[in-house]
Amino acid sequence: MPDVLIADDSEFMRNLLREILEEDHQIVGEVENGVEAVEVFKEETPDLVMMDIVMPIRDGIEATDEIKSNNPDANVIMCTSVGQEEKMKEAVKAGADGYITKPFQKPSVIEAIEDVVPS
Amino acid sequence: MNVDIQSLGTFNQLAHEGAEEATRSMAQMTGIDAVVDVTKITLLNRDDVGEELTGREFVGVQFAFDGVLEGDTVLVFDADSAATIADALVPGDSPDEAMARSGVKEIGNIMMSGFIDGWADYVEATIDHSPPEYIEKSGADVLPDAPTDADHQQVFVFKSQIEWIDESVNFYIYMLPEYEPLAELMMEQADTEDDAIPIDKLQTFNEMTTKGTQKAADNVEMMTGIPTDAEVTQISFAPITDVPKQVGTETYVGTVVEFTGTPSGYLMVLFDEVSAVTVAEAMMPIEMEGDELTDQHTAAIEELGNIMTSGFVDGWANVLQTSVEHTPPRVVHDMGRAIVDPLAAQVGQHQEHAFIIESEMKTEDIEFESEILALPNEKELREALEALDVERANETQADVEQIFE
Amino acid sequence: MKVYDGSQSESTTQNAPERIKVGIAEYKVTTDAALLTTSGLGSCIGVAIYDELNGAAGLVHVMLPSAADIDGGNRAKFADTGVEVLVEALEAAGSTTDAMRAKIAGGSDMLDFSENGSSIGSRNAKQVRRTLEEYDIPIVGEDLGGDHGRSIKLEAATGELIVKSANTESITL
Repeated sequence: MPDVLIADDSEFMRNLLREILEEDHQIVGEVENGVEAVEVFKEETPDLVMMDIVMPIRDGIEATDEIKSNNPDANVIMCTSVGQEEKMKEAVKAGADGYITKPFQKPSVIEAIEDVVPS
Repeated sequence: MNVDIQSLGTFNQLAHEGAEEATRSMAQMTGIDAVVDVTKITLLNRDDVGEELTGREFVGVQFAFDGVLEGDTVLVFDADSAATIADALVPGDSPDEAMARSGVKEIGNIMMSGFIDGWADYVEATIDHSPPEYIEKSGADVLPDAPTDADHQQVFVFKSQIEWIDESVNFYIYMLPEYEPLAELMMEQADTEDDAIPIDKLQTFNEMTTKGTQKAADNVEMMTGIPTDAEVTQISFAPITDVPKQVGTETYVGTVVEFTGTPSGYLMVLFDEVSAVTVAEAMMPIEMEGDELTDQHTAAIEELGNIMTSGFVDGWANVLQTSVEHTPPRVVHDMGRAIVDPLAAQVGQHQEHAFIIESEMKTEDIEFESEILALPNEKELREALEALDVERANETQADVEQIFE
Repeated sequence: MKVYDGSQSESTTQNAPERIKVGIAEYKVTTDAALLTTSGLGSCIGVAIYDELNGAAGLVHVMLPSAADIDGGNRAKFADTGVEVLVEALEAAGSTTDAMRAKIAGGSDMLDFSENGSSIGSRNAKQVRRTLEEYDIPIVGEDLGGDHGRSIKLEAATGELIVKSANTESITL
């Protein structure tokens, strides 16, 4: 079972993602901002990070940038309500491997993960 | 076609003073004490004019006017208020209906003369008006048809809301001028170039925002399963001190963010308490007991507000080929006006008037309503309008697949 | 057609005091024991001043700290000039600053997004205090700050200021 880290400041969204993922994934952490995401990533080196963009303290794009520059093999999927082209390009530049826009349905999450971390 | 902020402000002031003059006339005739609550200039799609009157009965008087300004204006009372007025004019147990009607008509006539005369004096030109016509209709039908203009799908509406002290009844003055004469008059009044707003682009901006509202409504529907329709989207201009009055005094639940970039400002997603519980329940996998607002409800509202906010502002960023950042949402649960007040104050540190972008969404089947209110900083809004390429107005959606191929 | 002179208020009963609404950036003064109300105070402040001797009372709803910061003619919009205009109006109604007492409410920090510097609410409060101090008018009651909105009622007859919030019980200052 692949390990997943969930980074989202919304409790509601973390719960929703956990419900979708826990069947086929090992959830190694749930964090609320970009700083915690980087820390927990270092400790756990999960197979996948589901990363929100708009978070307090440090946003998801900066966190992705740091994670990917230290671990080019890390897999990060942005999971965000932001649907702006410029932001998507920034995410690509930071090294994001996929991009899911909220609101999402379960199949699209599974599909996006399958693209990035084939089972 | 550019209009400066100063002349928009002046026109707003004119409408406001006209409404005050009209209100004084009425107070003198009836002894009913009333105050002009809000006066604003709104740019909106002509089909949406008067949407806020839906479901209520009105009586009033209508005039056509022409001269330097052309169009129609109407003074409407809630049917109940009309009875109160008639009673004040013709005291008695059961005022004669014909008498009451003629009283309302006369009051309307006197009030509207005051309203129109102020405009004519200011522009130092004549504005003639037709004799008053008594009308009795429901909802938006009470308003005259918005002027048609092949080039402009949107119209400017001047609207004043007048409130009785002590009573919860209202009356409204609507003025619907023809677009071209109004625009010309506003341009004549414009005296500086540096705070000019290209009003034709304001229409394009409104269209973009309408798509943003649609996107936000789609997001609500997807997260809750509640079929949700985007209703009116409009942009209004009002003195900063009138901004908090855009929402009611009752309690609201919702989210507020500050957004930065071009444009910048504040954005609120607001639900009345009943709608907040309804929508939060619909997002939750399990049924909650009772209809109180719990922490789980607010967590759901927080995320919904976040997603609606993005749906709303992403279109601006994509058309303008820029990014608009926003803070994580702050959940609010408070008196409507008190929520808007600190935001208006923050914007008001740099400007006398404000543009207010308002959108509403509703559903037919259950009691659910939500409104989105954005309060952009004038400077950045002006920059956004300057940068706006009208040809790109449809490019509100980004293509994820293409970017992340 | 019967024409009233406007000053008559037949609809209000003898017992209930007249109710006068004060909007944002407005002030009102009463000399006949009316009830002055203002609603939706977020970072705005309601400044109530009453005269213990002659019964005059007034309320102003100010929005921003200082008129010096921005152009614009309405004095009641700002904490400094708003207090001034209210004191002047009370003086015009026969009061003296010696007999004036102030009660203030509002100035919440809610929705303050500024990351550094103090919120508009607290700056409003500071300015109201400073200006009242210049007139030597004592503040005998206050409910300021916090992160919630308020609506207030000033009973001119007693000088009582009733403060209501969305989620808590009313308090009387």
